[in-house]
Amino acid sequence: MVHAPADRPAPATPAPATDAPAGREQTRARYPDLEGVAERDGGRIGFEVYGAGDPPIMFVPPWIIVHSRIWKAQIPDFARRHRVIAWDARGNGRSDRPTDPAAHGDEAIAKDLLAVLDASGTKAAVLVGLSSAVVPQIIVASEHPDRVLGLVLIAPSVPLGERVAGRDVPFEDVLETEHRWAKQNRHFWRRDFRAYLEFFFGEMFNEPHSTKQIEDAVGYGTTTDAETLGATMYASSVERDAFLGLCTAVRCPVLIIQGDRDAISGPSRGIELARAIPHAQLEVLEGGGHGPSGRDPVRVNLLIRAFIRDLGGPS
Amino acid sequence: MPGQSTTRTWTRALSRRRRALYISSPIGLGHAQRDVAIAGELRKLHPDLEIDWLAQHPVTAVLAEHRERIHPLSAELASESAHITSESGDHDLNAFQAIRRMDEILINNFMVFYDAVESGGYDLVIGDEAWDVDYYLHENPEIKRTAFAWMTDFVGWLPMASGGEREAYLTADYNAEMIEQVERFPRIRDKAIFVGEPEDIVPDDFGPGLGPIRDWTERHFDFSGYVTGFDPTPLIERREELRQELGYEPDQRVVIVTVGGSGVGESLLRRVIASYPEASRRVNGLRMIAVAGPRIDPASLDSPAGVEMRAFVPDLYRHLAACDLAVVQGGLTTTMELAAARRPFLYFPLRDHFEQNRHVRHRLERYGAGRYMEYAASPPEVIAAAIAEEIDRPIDHRPVETDGAARAAALIAPLI
Repeated sequence: MVHAPADRPAPATPAPATDAPAGREQTRARYPDLEGVAERDGGRIGFEVYGAGDPPIMFVPPWIIVHSRIWKAQIPDFARRHRVIAWDARGNGRSDRPTDPAAHGDEAIAKDLLAVLDASGTKAAVLVGLSSAVVPQIIVASEHPDRVLGLVLIAPSVPLGERVAGRDVPFEDVLETEHRWAKQNRHFWRRDFRAYLEFFFGEMFNEPHSTKQIEDAVGYGTTTDAETLGATMYASSVERDAFLGLCTAVRCPVLIIQGDRDAISGPSRGIELARAIPHAQLEVLEGGGHGPSGRDPVRVNLLIRAFIRDLGGPS
Repeated sequence: MPGQSTTRTWTRALSRRRRALYISSPIGLGHAQRDVAIAGELRKLHPDLEIDWLAQHPVTAVLAEHRERIHPLSAELASESAHITSESGDHDLNAFQAIRRMDEILINNFMVFYDAVESGGYDLVIGDEAWDVDYYLHENPEIKRTAFAWMTDFVGWLPMASGGEREAYLTADYNAEMIEQVERFPRIRDKAIFVGEPEDIVPDDFGPGLGPIRDWTERHFDFSGYVTGFDPTPLIERREELRQELGYEPDQRVVIVTVGGSGVGESLLRRVIASYPEASRRVNGLRMIAVAGPRIDPASLDSPAGVEMRAFVPDLYRHLAACDLAVVQGGLTTTMELAAARRPFLYFPLRDHFEQNRHVRHRLERYGAGRYMEYAASPPEVIAAAIAEEIDRPIDHRPVETDGAARAAALIAPLI
């Protein structure tokens, strides 16, 4: 079942079982000019490079429940004028599948980001990230300001603001319910990982008529697995106070895009983040959920274009 | 750059020429022909009109023939026709899912369109099944900056039985979104033109609780009648002469088999040529000419003796107008060309192709033209029998209108 959010009356939605040729990626608008692998600490991080032009733009992967195709509405458009780098976080896509939580922490992902900048020969770039990409982006921007020309932070999943109600469900306990966030549980994942993916992405793309975005993302989720994703539940994350300290050190231009119906991270995160980075530009999308880059790509692409134009690069 | 001088030009409004950007769908072969005809009629009404085309293969080939001006940003469009080919199988194309799975290409191409309109000074955009333009303008109404004329020859995504409940749900959801968009933002489509007549609209509903397609379409569209892109009258009047020119002997009964330009036609082509020995026993003087198209190697087909294989036939429409019977896929353009030329034909819609199986078939049945054939139920002997039955059937179907391009242009012209 694809679940609609509770406040929207949902017609019965038959499962997306057979409507796409199994496992075949749909035609892309553009294919990478270069594919590579960055190695760090024994880990392998797959990346792609498209197009040419300054400033370079890196699309930073969010949680490994998806891979870099989550940026498919951005990559070809920006590659028309910019050098674009997209990569898969360790755990999905072309990267390896570490089950050690240490590989999935915010600091580790920040180091992976730097490793991809190095491996792709990119001195500095505009970093565009979604959701849990945002903390690693801010770590890199504050600790390596010379590598970051600007930050675009979409639906930020950061230790500020309020967590979405009902999400705090014990991951390891055997639960008597499978209702909503109770699916975010190791036993449920082992039983029916796909049903969790369908629930999760139904929450992520909670705008009406989002069937395609949900189906795509479920497809990205099926290329990781319950054990690898489970390791991320134990990864170390930056705490609130330390995070606020990092935010005050950010000097580059910042654009924050926040949907006011974000049902994954919650709508207050971006607003609090904008308070923590006073020079940030905050764009609120009314009616928007947690995946505006997929669901409202024209708006998001135009916002990013304008942000880059204001940096002084080509628009 | 500080210190560098720049020059910009702004033209006073009343000093501007009328300018239109035309987007013609590259899926199938028919849109380009009809759009060139409509553009010609529009220029009769507005002689100062400048038209740029944001276009890709195969539309660009037709435009080049007619010396139309192609916008330079066209080079940045991602290919829709290559995608559709990649989605096709053995006489099979799930057209709904294929367009749905084209979303990355559509957003890319919309952003190219956005750039073309931002810098182009256009008064009008004409979109003939330009799905990206129509969809994303409704999603982002604040960026509309020209008049917009929308054209289509079908309304309503329809599920195929093979897609089960899921496809029925999805098509209804797509229809619901379209209805909501159009009703909420009537200012996006300044003119919506259905290429056909109200009777050509399928009798189906948009989906559970969404109402009949015809009723809604009649309220939200104007009707141009069918647009052939050419006038069939001289071909019909000069048919005997044409046969002579093409080398068709009076005692020959010529069957043309053509399966379009993609590789998806190969299995149909194999079956039809395999029907030749039996068909030629039933029909005296039967001559079969099979056109393989650019993507099928004629040598790979093991054609039986007597079948003439051609890789390519220039001016195919003249052969179709002169033949005694045609065997084709179920695409709208080719079948309607045959109906307009008043020829008998067998048509085989691609499996799972909702437009060919439902919209096009409904329209052809309204005209009384052609014979519907189901590929899965048509082994060579069935095809041979159908050829024998249809080749001498008197043509009494409803004539295809010839004023569609002029009617469409007359609907669009007041926008500029």
